[in-house]
Amino acid sequence: MIVALRSLDVGLRRALGGSALPTGELFGCIAAGGFFYGVIMGSFGAGFDERLLLALFSGVKVPMLLLVCFLMTLPIFLVLNSLLGLRSDLPDVVRAVLAGQAALAIVLAALAPYTVLWYASSADYAAAQLFNFAMFIIASGAGQAVLRHHYRPLVARDPRHRQLMWAWLLLYSFVAVQMAWVLRPFIGDPSSAVQFFRNEPLSDNAYMVIIRLIGQEMN
Amino acid sequence: MRYWFAQLDSILRGQATHPSRLQQGELNIQADGLLVMLTALGMSYGFCMSWYAVLRDDPQYMQVVASMIKVPLLFFLTLAVTFPSLYVFNALIGSRLSFSSMLQLLVGSQAVLLAVLASFGPIVAFFSVTSTSYFFILLLNVAVCGLAGSLGIRFLLQTLHRLTDALYVPIVLAAPEPAEAAPPDSAVHAAAPGPLTRIGRPESRERVRVVFYVWVATFAVVGGQMAWVLRPFIGNPNAPFTWFRPRQSNFLEAVVESVRRLFQP
Repeated sequence: MIVALRSLDVGLRRALGGSALPTGELFGCIAAGGFFYGVIMGSFGAGFDERLLLALFSGVKVPMLLLVCFLMTLPIFLVLNSLLGLRSDLPDVVRAVLAGQAALAIVLAALAPYTVLWYASSADYAAAQLFNFAMFIIASGAGQAVLRHHYRPLVARDPRHRQLMWAWLLLYSFVAVQMAWVLRPFIGDPSSAVQFFRNEPLSDNAYMVIIRLIGQEMN
Repeated sequence: MRYWFAQLDSILRGQATHPSRLQQGELNIQADGLLVMLTALGMSYGFCMSWYAVLRDDPQYMQVVASMIKVPLLFFLTLAVTFPSLYVFNALIGSRLSFSSMLQLLVGSQAVLLAVLASFGPIVAFFSVTSTSYFFILLLNVAVCGLAGSLGIRFLLQTLHRLTDALYVPIVLAAPEPAEAAPPDSAVHAAAPGPLTRIGRPESRERVRVVFYVWVATFAVVGGQMAWVLRPFIGNPNAPFTWFRPRQSNFLEAVVESVRRLFQP
């Protein structure tokens, strides 16, 4: 038991700050941390009823969100790295990017108890959405910090890495916002049915929804 | 097949256009196999962008076929239209680049453009499948093509500068510092410029600058207008499928109109 805890401690410290873990373990962190937070997130308003199913759905969706966005941004990221002459650093670059995501997932998992406390304190759906959004923002901040930590030696070798780091962050965020919108519901309005996806007719993408909301506010 | 892929890879990594390889003033890109790869890359992007027409109430499956044919066609036609003027202007400024070198240069830049475009394919397909706003998708595709085009053009210009340097002034490239004498990291990266890295002598570059910036603008305008002529690539949801739309308006007007319509309720 002590040995298990100690190796978990070593693994987490390496994932969060030291040299990057092997790629397989990083994927494991993303899957495990994401699943854990997803289950907690989806347990809003759940008793021992079918709403527990939503918790399971969300547990699947959070790692899916992170990993699918990573896979979608990977081709263009690899091509841009090649074009800027950074091909030789590719394994380190990919590991840095994965380490950032692993850190996001681990910090999310660490913040899960706060979400439990929030859900126990308030039944307001809108407030729950905002709280989870805040947890994601904090975890993204930590993920970004770890990404930059792993990129520091790369940037020291070649300053062009910095451009690509920001390009990847921008692209990943662009895709992730839309992916989160498509994969909703994560928390689940208690007045709506339990579904994996919202079955309403295809609403527009997240950015058009935001543009229209802003347009309505301004009119 | 693997050889063609390796060719594409060496262009993207900058090996094919490394200054040491260009010293004879000739490129060594095997255009024929690469053209097959470029067609495949173009078709894959056409496939991705056509998904907007498929996942809606009235699916237009023919749009998939049409886009897969039109995207490679667009790039080859743009090449055909702009190549004669590039060759002539290049000759006018006194460059001794041969016809085949010029062709290889353009095929190389198309390779960069189509590789970037194809690698954006999954993202474009994802947005196409999950969006209902036609103008958003249109602008997304324009932005992606614009980025791919600008990287392709940057490759063209950098390779041209390097070829011109090689021809005009006999360059004895300083041998990279031997690994023992310099910190290993800097030696590795000093000797590995990417295909888009600026190197070469400023004074010889000055000579080609004006002509090629004019040509770059020409390429951008021709590419955009060629895309407009070959439309539709995505398929307006309010219009039935056709292979081509009637001649009207132009590319720039359409982009401005799309931005305007994006913000309309």
